[in-house]
Amino acid sequence: MDQKPEPKEEKKGFLRSMQEIIYGMASHDMSRYALRTRASMEHLFILITMGDMIGVPILPPYYSLRLLPYVVPQISTWKRRLLREKDVSDAMF
Amino acid sequence: MNTLWIVVIGAVVIYLAYNFYARRVDRMVIQTNSKRATPAKMYMDGVDFMPANRNVLFGYHFKSIAAAGPIVGVITAANLWGWLPALLWLVVGVSLMGWASDYSAIMVSVRNDGNSLGAISHRLIAPRTRVILFTFIFFYLLLVAGAFMGIMAALMDARPDVPFGILVLALMGLLAGQMLYRWKLDLILVTVVVVGVTLAAMILGPLGATTKLDAAGKPVGTNWVGPINSATVAFDHAVNQITGGKPVMSVVDPTNSDPRLSNPSLYNKATGQIFTLPSYLLWALFLLVFAYLASTLPIWRFAQPVNYIGFWITLLTIGFSAIGAVLAPFLKPAVGAFALPAFCSPANVAANVCQAADGGFQPLANGAFQPLWPMLFVTIACGAISGWHALFGSVGTARQLEYETDALPVGGGAMFAENTLALLSLVAVSIAGVGGGAARFAAGVGSLLSVVFGSGFVPYGTALGFGAFMVIVLTVTQLVFRVMRVTLSEWGGEAAPLLRNMHVSTLISMILTMALVLTGTWVYLWQLFGASNQLMAALSLLIVTVWLKSLHRNPSYALWPALFMYVTTLAATLVTAYNLYATIAIKPGMGALPVGGAWAMILISALLFVAALFIGWDSLQAYRRYAHEASTPATQVQPGD
Repeated sequence: MDQKPEPKEEKKGFLRSMQEIIYGMASHDMSRYALRTRASMEHLFILITMGDMIGVPILPPYYSLRLLPYVVPQISTWKRRLLREKDVSDAMF
Repeated sequence: MNTLWIVVIGAVVIYLAYNFYARRVDRMVIQTNSKRATPAKMYMDGVDFMPANRNVLFGYHFKSIAAAGPIVGVITAANLWGWLPALLWLVVGVSLMGWASDYSAIMVSVRNDGNSLGAISHRLIAPRTRVILFTFIFFYLLLVAGAFMGIMAALMDARPDVPFGILVLALMGLLAGQMLYRWKLDLILVTVVVVGVTLAAMILGPLGATTKLDAAGKPVGTNWVGPINSATVAFDHAVNQITGGKPVMSVVDPTNSDPRLSNPSLYNKATGQIFTLPSYLLWALFLLVFAYLASTLPIWRFAQPVNYIGFWITLLTIGFSAIGAVLAPFLKPAVGAFALPAFCSPANVAANVCQAADGGFQPLANGAFQPLWPMLFVTIACGAISGWHALFGSVGTARQLEYETDALPVGGGAMFAENTLALLSLVAVSIAGVGGGAARFAAGVGSLLSVVFGSGFVPYGTALGFGAFMVIVLTVTQLVFRVMRVTLSEWGGEAAPLLRNMHVSTLISMILTMALVLTGTWVYLWQLFGASNQLMAALSLLIVTVWLKSLHRNPSYALWPALFMYVTTLAATLVTAYNLYATIAIKPGMGALPVGGAWAMILISALLFVAALFIGWDSLQAYRRYAHEASTPATQVQPGD
C-alpha cells in the first residue's frame, strides 16, 4: 500500500505549487515522451530475447537465460503494456 | 462595460460553480475516494500508467486542452453576434457542462481500469460506437487542420509583420532540439536563448512601419517601410510576379471573416472577391512544410521544442495581457472600455462592426444563416465545453491520476482555467474595435500590453498578439497532422499497408486538408469542426450517463448537458451544410475548387449527422437496458464499487 500521505495532509507553498504547474505545462510531456521512447526500446529488446514468455519463441533458451537477470525487473511492466487492449486513441497521446 | 467586469464575472462564476456544484457532484454522485487505488497505481508501468503530482497533472492537462480553441472560437463568435452572447455561453457552458465533461471523462476512465472512451463505449453502449467515435476523430482532425491552415496562410499573406517571427520560430525550434538533446545544454540557458530570439523576432516585425493617413488625416492603413516588413512585402511581390500579380483564383467568404479582408490589395469590397495570390499559396506551402517536419521528424527534434517555445511566448503574452486587463480601468480607462457591441444590431452590421444582427435569425445579405442557436454553441467550443478534452482526459490524464480526489482539481480545474483564457480573449477582442477576428485579438492584446509597457508599445504589442495567435494555432496544427497520420495508419493500415508509411499518411492528410483550405471559407470549416467536437463532447457525456445508470446512480448532471449538446450540434451540422449549399455550392461564378470543397464539406456534414444518429440510438438502447436492470431487484448491485 502506498505510504504517501493523503492530499489533504500535504502542505505546499504557493511558489512550489506554481513551479510544479509550470513544469506540468512546459516539460511534463517531454519527460513522458522520453520515458515512452526508452520503454519502447526496452520492451522491444525483451520481446526479442524473452518472447517465448508470451509464446513467441525467438532465441534459444541459453541466451535467454544469460540475459534473464538484466530483464527481470522489466518483465511485469512489459507484459502488462504489451498485452493490454489498445485502440487508436492510445497511439494518439 | 470594461475589462474589470469580465474579470470579476469570471472569478465569481468559477468560484460558485466549482465550490457549490462541481464539488457536490464529486462528493454525492461520483463519490471519489482518495483511498481507492487508481489505474496509475494499479497498473504502473513507468510510462503510460504512472502517478503524477496533482499540480503537475493540472499543468499538463491544462496545456494539452488549452490551445487555439478558446481564442479562435471566442473571436469568431464575438465578431458574429457581439460580446454578450459569447460571455453568457462561456460562463453558463463551463459552469453546467464544461467541467462536467472533462472531469467525468477522467473519472469514467479511472473507474474502468484506465480504458479510453472508445473502449468503454464499446463495452457499455455498443461495439460499433467505437468505430463511429474514430470516424468523428478523423474528420474532426481534418476540419481543424483545414480551419487552422486557412486562417494562418491568410494572416501570413495579409500581414507583412507576421511571417518573420514564424520563420524564426521554426529555426529556433530546430536549434532548441539540437541544444537540448544533442549538445545536452542546460534547459534554462536554452530557454533564454530560443525564447528570447523568437520573442524579439515577433516584436520587431513592425519596426519602422508608419501609419498611412488619408487626406483628412484619418488612418487608413500601414506603410510597410521598416527593414523586416518591407523585406516581406518585397518577397511577396516577387512571388506574385509568377502570375504577373494576377490572382490564381478568387473566392467569396460569405461571412466576411477571412483575415485577407483587412488588406485592400487582396480584397475587392465592391464584388466581395478575395484574391488568392501565389504568395498565399507559398505561405500555405511553408506552413505545410512546417507541419510535415513536425509530423515526420522525431518529436524531440522539432515538434516538442516548437511547442516548448510556443508555451513561453503564449504564457508571457497572455500573462501580461491579463495584468493589463486588470489595470486598464484604473490606469487607462479608454483602453479598458468595450468597443464591440454587446449584441449585434442592424446598425452595427451596416457599420461593419459585426456580422449577424439581432441574433442572426434573419439571413445575412448573402443568404447564409448564422442563428444564435445552434451556431454560437459550436462556434465557441473550448472555453465552454469540448469533446477533445474528454478524449484526451480519458487517455492522457486518467492514467496519471494519483488519487481519485485529484480528478476534480485537475479535470474540472483545468477546464475553469481554460475558461479564464477564453474570457481574456473576449476582453481582447471586445476592446479592439473594428477589424477582422484575428486582427481584433491582436489589436486588443496590443492595447492591453500598452497598459503595462506604455503607449509606444502598441504596434509591437499588436505584432506580439499576432505572433502569439499564430504560435498557438501553429503548435496545434503541427500536432494535429502528427495525430492524423497516426490515426490514418492505425485506421487504414490493415486494409492498405501503404498508409503505414508515415510520409504517405502525412501527405494524404495534407492534400485532404489543402482541398478544404482552398474553398476560402474557413468559418464554415471552423463551425463544422466545432460541431464534430461538440458531438464528441455529447458522446462522452452520453457514455458517462450510461455508466452512471449502470451503477444505478443519478446521471442528471451529465444527461441534460449531453442532450442539449446532442440536439444543438445536430442542428448546427444541418445549418452549416445549408450555408455551404446556398452560399457556395449552387452560387453562380464561384469556381470549381470552392464548389468542390463545399460539396466535400456537405458530405462530411451528412456523414457526421448520420453517425451521430447511430450513436444516439445505441446510447438510448443502452440507457434503457441499464434502467431496466435497475428496476429488477435481483440486480441491485453496484458494479465497480
